Amino acid sequence: MKATHPRRPWGALALAAGLSGAALLVAPPLGADETCMSPYMAKIVGQEDFVYVWTLGQEGVGDEQDKLVTIDVNPNSSEYGKVVQTLSVGGRNEAHHSGFTDDRRYLWAAGLDTNKIFIFDVHTDPARPKLHKVITDFVARSGGVVGPHTTYALAGRMIITGLSNNRDHGGRTALVEYTNDGQYIATHWMPTDDNLRGARKAGKHADGYGYDLRVLPRRNLMVTSSFTGWSNYMMDFGKMLQDEAAMKRFGNTVVVWDLHSRKPKKVLDVPGAPLELRCAWGANHNYCFTSTALTSKIWLIYEDESGEWHAKAVADIGDPSKVPLPVDISITSDDKHLWVDTFMDGKTRLFDISDPFKPRQVYEKQIGKQINMASQSWNGKRIYYTSSLLANWDKKGDEDEQYFKAYDWDGTALQQKFAIDFTAAKLGRPHQMRFGAYSLYGMKPPRADSHTVAQTD
Amino acid sequence: MLLAAAWPAGVFAAPAEPLAPGHTALGYDPPAPGSYALPPLGDAGDGQVLDASGDSLRLHGLLGSEVVVLSFIYSTCSDTNGCPLATAVLYKLRSTIEAQPALAGKVRFVSLSFDPVQDTPEVIRLYGMNFTGSEQSTEWTFLTTASQEQLEPILEAYGQPIQPEFDDTGKLTGRIAHILRVFLIDRERRIRNIYSVSFLHADLVLNDILTLQLERRAQQEATSTITRAGTRLSRAGDDRTGYERHDYQSRSRSVEARTGVAADLMANLEAPLPGLPAVAVPGDNPASPAKVALGRKLFYDRRLSLNNTFSCAMCHVPEQGFTSNELETAVGIEGRSVRRNTPTLYNVAFAERLFHDGRETTLEQQVWAPLLARNEMGNPSIGSVIEKLKAMPDYAGLFEAAFAGKGPSMETVGGAIASYERTLVSGNSPFDRWYYGGKADALRDDARRGFTIFTKKGGCSGCHTVGASSAVFTDHGLHNTGVGYWVSMGASGRKHRVLVAPGEYLEVDAATIASVGERQPNDLGLYEITQAPADRWKYRTPTLRNVALTAPYMHNGSLASLRDVVDFYNQGGVPNELLDPRIRPLHLSESEVADLVAFLESLTGDNVDVLVSDAFAAPVGDLTEADPDWAHQSRSGQ
Repeated sequence: MKATHPRRPWGALALAAGLSGAALLVAPPLGADETCMSPYMAKIVGQEDFVYVWTLGQEGVGDEQDKLVTIDVNPNSSEYGKVVQTLSVGGRNEAHHSGFTDDRRYLWAAGLDTNKIFIFDVHTDPARPKLHKVITDFVARSGGVVGPHTTYALAGRMIITGLSNNRDHGGRTALVEYTNDGQYIATHWMPTDDNLRGARKAGKHADGYGYDLRVLPRRNLMVTSSFTGWSNYMMDFGKMLQDEAAMKRFGNTVVVWDLHSRKPKKVLDVPGAPLELRCAWGANHNYCFTSTALTSKIWLIYEDESGEWHAKAVADIGDPSKVPLPVDISITSDDKHLWVDTFMDGKTRLFDISDPFKPRQVYEKQIGKQINMASQSWNGKRIYYTSSLLANWDKKGDEDEQYFKAYDWDGTALQQKFAIDFTAAKLGRPHQMRFGAYSLYGMKPPRADSHTVAQTD
Repeated sequence: MLLAAAWPAGVFAAPAEPLAPGHTALGYDPPAPGSYALPPLGDAGDGQVLDASGDSLRLHGLLGSEVVVLSFIYSTCSDTNGCPLATAVLYKLRSTIEAQPALAGKVRFVSLSFDPVQDTPEVIRLYGMNFTGSEQSTEWTFLTTASQEQLEPILEAYGQPIQPEFDDTGKLTGRIAHILRVFLIDRERRIRNIYSVSFLHADLVLNDILTLQLERRAQQEATSTITRAGTRLSRAGDDRTGYERHDYQSRSRSVEARTGVAADLMANLEAPLPGLPAVAVPGDNPASPAKVALGRKLFYDRRLSLNNTFSCAMCHVPEQGFTSNELETAVGIEGRSVRRNTPTLYNVAFAERLFHDGRETTLEQQVWAPLLARNEMGNPSIGSVIEKLKAMPDYAGLFEAAFAGKGPSMETVGGAIASYERTLVSGNSPFDRWYYGGKADALRDDARRGFTIFTKKGGCSGCHTVGASSAVFTDHGLHNTGVGYWVSMGASGRKHRVLVAPGEYLEVDAATIASVGERQPNDLGLYEITQAPADRWKYRTPTLRNVALTAPYMHNGSLASLRDVVDFYNQGGVPNELLDPRIRPLHLSESEVADLVAFLESLTGDNVDVLVSDAFAAPVGDLTEADPDWAHQSRSGQ
C-alpha cells in the first residue's frame, strides 16, 4: 500500500500552475457523505476503510445501550463486511447524527434525548475508535438548548444545531458553538417572531425551530432547516400522528444566515418539516436542497442573480398523499443526482437534478421494510444504507428491520454487496454513518494487499 | 488547490484549479464591523520559540499588547492555497491596516514555521525580509523553533496536526501536509477567530479586527436589540392557535426572553384569594418560605429523572396553564407514552383526590408517583433519588434548612414539592369579582348569560359546583361521560385525518399508523382502582378555574377547545350503560353555546402572569460537571 498520495488525472495542469501536493489537508470549497461533509473538512476520495455507525440502544437487544459500531468496508480487507468493533457508551441517549472535526481526528456523536455529546478519537487507530471525552453539560452551558443534532465542522470549531429547549420541550431552539477540544463558545438562538435578530421574515413563519445546517463559504452562507421539539421526536410515531395538538408543532422554515457573523438574514417558508440540507459543490452552484418530511417534496434553496435567497418546491417525492416520509438525502459530488430515502416504503429513489429547478426521478429500489440514512462515497460508486429513524418512530413488530446494507452503484442499478442484520447481531438501531480511512492520518492499514487511496484536500 | 482525484477521466470534465477566495476579491459584502460578536474560542497556546536573530523567547511574549494575527507557515511551502495564501492575505491586510490610522500600531502579525529542520532562524530572517520594512507600523514577526520537540506542544495547542508527505514510491517529498489555519488573538491572549482556506480573506480579517476594537459598543447594541415579549405570559411560547388553517402565521417567542420575577408565594397561603376557600395546609407539613423555595427548585430540576431530562415542569409547563397545551396525552422519559392528559396544577391545593382516576389522596404522596413511574421520570427507586440529591452540590444544606435539620428523604422531597404546588392558587377572576365581589361591571353580558346556563339549563354546576362564598368548580367526584367508554369500546375508523402543515390534512390509513405505533393501552378509569364494574370509565371532575389556559381537554386530551367541550356535553356525551345520568342532550342554541364558552373563559384568575413570571425566574436544573454522572468519573474512555 502506498500512503496518502492521490492520483490526479489533471496532474499536468496542476504542475503547470506551479502547485504541489504540499497542502493535502487544505479543505477546498468543493468536494459530497463523503458528499455531505463540511467543506472545511478533509475528505476521502478513494476507497474508505471503515464506516462508523452511530447506533441507538434498543430495549431487549444486546446490552441495550447506544454504541459506535465500526464496520470494515474495504473489499481488500480480510475483515470486509464485518463489524470490527463496537463501543458502548452507556444509556439510550437517542443516538442520531455525528460529524468529524475539521481535522477529522475526532468524531462528535450526539444524543437527542440526554443531550450528551460523545467525542470519539478516530485518528489514533481508525479501526478502533476510543471514547475521548463526553460533554454532559451541553444544556446547562448553552442556556437551555436541548437535542444536539448536527455536529458540523467549521474552521477549528464545531457548530451544533439544537432541536428543542429545556423550558417546554418544544421546537424553539438555537445553534451552539464549541471549540474542537470541547469548550463551549456561544449560543445563537434561531430567529423568532418577537426577536428576528435582524433577519427578514420572508413569509408567514419565523418559528425558531432547528434541524440541519450546511454552509457555502464562498457565498458567506449558512443555512438551517427545522424539524420539531423533544416531545414529538421522542414520542411514539403512531400516537403522534393521531395527536393534532402535537402535529401542529413542526417546523415550517429554512433560515439563511450570514456565515461569518452568525446572524440570521432571512427566514424562508418551507412548510412540512424540512430536514436534511445538502448544498451543491460546483463553484457556481449557489443552491442547496432539502426535503420536507411531512409534505414529501424536494425544495430548492437558491440565490438569484441579485443575490437574494429563495425557497421553491421543485418536485414531489413518491405520492405525497401516502406520506412516504422522505428522510435522508445525499447529493452526488458532480451535483447531477440526489438520492432520497423514504422511510415508510423503505425505498431509495434517485433524482436527476442536472436542472435543479426540475428534479426528476430516474431510479428507485426497495432497500428494506424501512429505511433512513444513505451515505455515498465521493465517486458515487458505493452507497450505504441504515434503517433506523428514531427509537419511537421506527416501525413496530415484524416490520422493524434493523440493518446496515452496502451497495455498489454502476450508474443504472444498485447491487447489494453485503448486509448486516443489526437485530440478529444484537447491536440495536443503526443511524448515522461516517467514513474512516487510514490514509487520512498518514497511516498504512495493518495488511499488505490493500490499496487504500484517500485524499484529504 | 487539489480536487477530488479518484474520478475516472471523462466522467465529467475536470474543473479548472480554483484559487482560494483569499487571492481574489471577496464574492460578497462582509458583515459590517461591530455588527456581530466574536466569542472567545479559548486561550491562545504558548511555547518556546526562536526569533529571526536566533534569540529564544516565549510565544506569549508577543501576544497581549496588540491584536495578533498568527499564521503557521514553512519557507519551502509552494501550494498556492497553502502557506503562500496565508502570507499573501497578511501582506494585503497589512497595507489596508496601514491606511487606517485608528489601527496604527494596534495589530501585530506573527508567522511561525512548522519546519524547524529546514527553517533555521537565518532562513526565517531571509524569508521575512520579503515582507518586512522599516516604514510599517504593523510589526510582522517571523519565528521558528529549536526542534520538533519544542514545536509539538505549540502545534497541539493550536490544533495544527501535520503529516510529512510521501510520493508515489513512498519516499518523503519534504513537503508537509497540514490544515491551513490562521488565528486572530485578542489582547487577553484569547483566540477570537480561526480562518481556513475557504474563509481566509483580508477583508474579513480586517472587519474582525475592527470588530474587536468596537467590541464593547457592539455588545451594548446587541443587548438593546432584544425586544421583550408582550406582557401576557400565560400562553405557549410557540402559540400555534389557528394552525389548522392555511392562513396561519407563526407567533413564536424567544426562549431567551423567557425571564421572570420571583413572587411572594407564601402570601397565597396566608389569606384566601377572592372566590376561593382558604388553603388547608396539612399540620404535618407546614409551609415555610424555605420549604416553598426548595420545592420550587425541585419542581424545575430536570436532574430529578433517571437520565437528567425530566422535571415536573416538562409536563406541567407554567406558561401552558401548568399543563401542556402541546400534547393530548403526555410523553415521559425516553419518549414513553403516558395514557392521559397532564392535569393542571392551578388550585391543586383544593383537590381532594389526585390523578384522573382519583387514586391518590395527598400531594405529599402524589409527588413520588411521577418520580418513580417508568414512563414519566423513570427513577429506579426512592433511594436512588435521595442519594442523587445528596450528591448534587447545589442542594447542600437546603433540605436541612427547610426541614429542621432533616436531609433529603422520601418525606422531605414530597413535603417540599407539595408545598410549592400548594402555592399555585389562582382566583379573583372576572367571575369572582362579579359573583362574589358584587362588581356589576366585572363580567361581560355573554358570560353572565353563560353562568345562568351553567347552573340551570346546562346543569354543569351539578358536578362543577359553585358554593355560596367560594367555588372550586368540582364536586371532587368521578363520573362517566362516555369519553373513556368510546376509546375502549367505540369502533375505530379506517382512515385518520393527519395535519401535516398549516391547513394541510392528509387521510392516512389506520394500517399505516399502526405500523409505526405501539398498541394503545386501555384505560378503564376508576375501575382500575376499585375493581368495581360500575366504576368503569369514571374520571375525576376537574376544576374549571383557569380552564381557558389548559387546553386540550378531558382525561385524554381528545377535545381541542372549550367550544368542542361544550358541543360534546350539548350532544349528551357518549351514551353507554354507565353514563352519568346528569349527562343528557342539552338542546343549547348556538348563542347559548357561545355564552357558555364566554363564561368558562371568565374563570381565569388575575394572578396567572405573576405565578408564571415567578416560574420563569426559577432556575432550570440541568446536569453540570459537578453533578454525579458516570461520564464524570471515567473521562478517559475505554
